Amino acid sequence: MKLLNNGVNDRNSRLKLGAIIVALVALIILPLCIESDYIKHLLIMVCIGTILGMTFSMLYSTGLITLGAAAFYAVGAYTSTMLVTSAGLSFWAALPLTVIVAVVLSLGFGAIFVRNAGVAFVIITLIFVQVIVIAAGQVEFLGGWGGIMGIPRPDSLGPVEFTTKQDLYYLILAILLLIIIIYNALYSSRIGRAWRAIKLSPNLAGTLGINAYRYRLLAFVIGSTTAAVAGCFYAHYFQNITPGAFAGWLSIYVQLYAVLGGLEFYILGPAFGAVIMTFVPEYLRVVKEIEPIVTGVLLLIIILFFPGGILGTIKNPPDLSLKSFKSRLSRVKNRLSQGNKS
Amino acid sequence: MVLLEIQNITKIFGGLIALRDVSFDINRSEIVGLIGPNGAGKSTLFNIISGFHHPDKGRILFKDRQINGLQVDRIARMGIGRIFQEPTLFMQETIFENVLSGFHRHYREAAWKALLHTPAANREERIKKNKAIEILEFMELSALSGELAANLPHGRQRVLAIAIALASEPDLLLLDEPVTGMNPSETTTMIEKIRQIRGRGITVLIVEHDMRAVMSLCDRIVVLNLGVKLVEGTPDRIKSDERVIEAYLGKQVI
Ligand SMILES: Nc1ncnc2c1ncn2[C@@H]1O[C@H](COP(=O)(O)OP(=O)(O)OP(=O)(O)O)[C@@H](O)[C@H]1O
Ligand SMILES: [Mg+2]
Repeated sequence: MKLLNNGVNDRNSRLKLGAIIVALVALIILPLCIESDYIKHLLIMVCIGTILGMTFSMLYSTGLITLGAAAFYAVGAYTSTMLVTSAGLSFWAALPLTVIVAVVLSLGFGAIFVRNAGVAFVIITLIFVQVIVIAAGQVEFLGGWGGIMGIPRPDSLGPVEFTTKQDLYYLILAILLLIIIIYNALYSSRIGRAWRAIKLSPNLAGTLGINAYRYRLLAFVIGSTTAAVAGCFYAHYFQNITPGAFAGWLSIYVQLYAVLGGLEFYILGPAFGAVIMTFVPEYLRVVKEIEPIVTGVLLLIIILFFPGGILGTIKNPPDLSLKSFKSRLSRVKNRLSQGNKS
Repeated sequence: MVLLEIQNITKIFGGLIALRDVSFDINRSEIVGLIGPNGAGKSTLFNIISGFHHPDKGRILFKDRQINGLQVDRIARMGIGRIFQEPTLFMQETIFENVLSGFHRHYREAAWKALLHTPAANREERIKKNKAIEILEFMELSALSGELAANLPHGRQRVLAIAIALASEPDLLLLDEPVTGMNPSETTTMIEKIRQIRGRGITVLIVEHDMRAVMSLCDRIVVLNLGVKLVEGTPDRIKSDERVIEAYLGKQVI
């Protein structure tokens, strides 16, 4: 009678939390050791990418694959921009209002979208993000295809200003940290358990009283709202937005972060993926021109040969030998016979 | 006292009549057997009771309320649990996590309290974990609690499926071939477990081809053949019924 509780998983989640804390301390010190504003910009993009990747992973944790991760990123960027430039609100008033708008819109659209699972959901989200992009481009009021220029930086909060790359890096890092804390709480609660149940076996989840529709809708709303917050930051960081920035490859990239890092690591996976996908191309300037091709090939290689992603491959190195298979089998048998005796 | 009423259920798949005008009742705290040759419509009836299929004709009443037409999760929350004929588990999770998921509908503290780890929510979570440990001990799976469900042999997977269903604390438990794939000693243990499950106040409807298990367990048996209810009665009556013997003729299972 060892393992009376799920000791394995308590240890795992503590390890996971430890890794996140170490990474965060490093991330706080990092910009102080860096001179280059360009590198700081890349760090900011890593944070945004991680947030978007995490929204993809949240839907994935319920068994849904979205190709529209950029849709509410755009909604957030445009909502906040309009609230600040047209309505004259401060960034700090626009942010919570953007959250409310995102919750309402994602609840409305999600209520229709998540009725469909599988390929249908993938296609719907893909179309949705294109519709958002075209809508933004066609509507004069939203700046048309030329977008909106001269969006102000976030207003200063008392003595804290948001003017340099370093300031803005700390702002997005704080946002990222908050989101990680919320997501971690969700995943380790019965909500996260219900999400995984729906993904692993919708039928069994149903017989346990879990309403797949409602739980998927919840994930859709939380993920979309998170993406909108990232979009809000993005608009005031770049200070200009165009519909094109949210089109095409962006949602694919977001998905790639999650897949590359490890699909089963809902927080660390996107973080690893975003770091690699942001920095590796920088040091492969040669391929810059054909980068989308390299990216596509990379995605294919990972899916085909390392389905666990980087973290999954580190955690369970693929050992395809017959010997390892047999030893695993005999270990299970041993435990079984122990179980019978006790 | 009647717990489940199956009234004139007819189910047609394309042109195939899987069930035709099937009716019977299940009383509280009974163990009722549902037997019949392959393709008789046993699993189809389970799927109708638990809401995966909707009948073309007839009604199902559970605790005097009509449940056919309701969604699967709604029916589960009313107190019907089931295991599937095919191995259906959260394969990539541990045995312990599988059982813990079974408690889903019994959390009372608000979800936001669980997210903030309030004392009340933590206490509730601890109680659920202790109950999961208790269920694993009862089903003799404790030693395996950290193992992935996918790594279990078939017989143990069926035991785990029942453990998960028990965690959902149903009033009525539908067991689709619980001892299939088990050796004789495992079967004997499982028969005893099912008796104890009934002892906990859970009503059981069981589909099983293993006649030794069915005859020793059930208070009452319903026999289906080609979608039609052939006969219903005590094990002794069923064993000696000519129509049953004829339906099973050549199988020599009774
Ligand atoms: N979803 C479905 N679509 C079409 N036909 C079905 C479906 N489910 C069951 N059937 C058919 O209905 C009939 C009854 O099947 P069912 O699975 O209920 O039999 P059973 O009594 O459980 O048999 P077994 O002992 O082999 O499990 C079979 O002919 C089967 O092929
Ligand atoms: Mg069957």
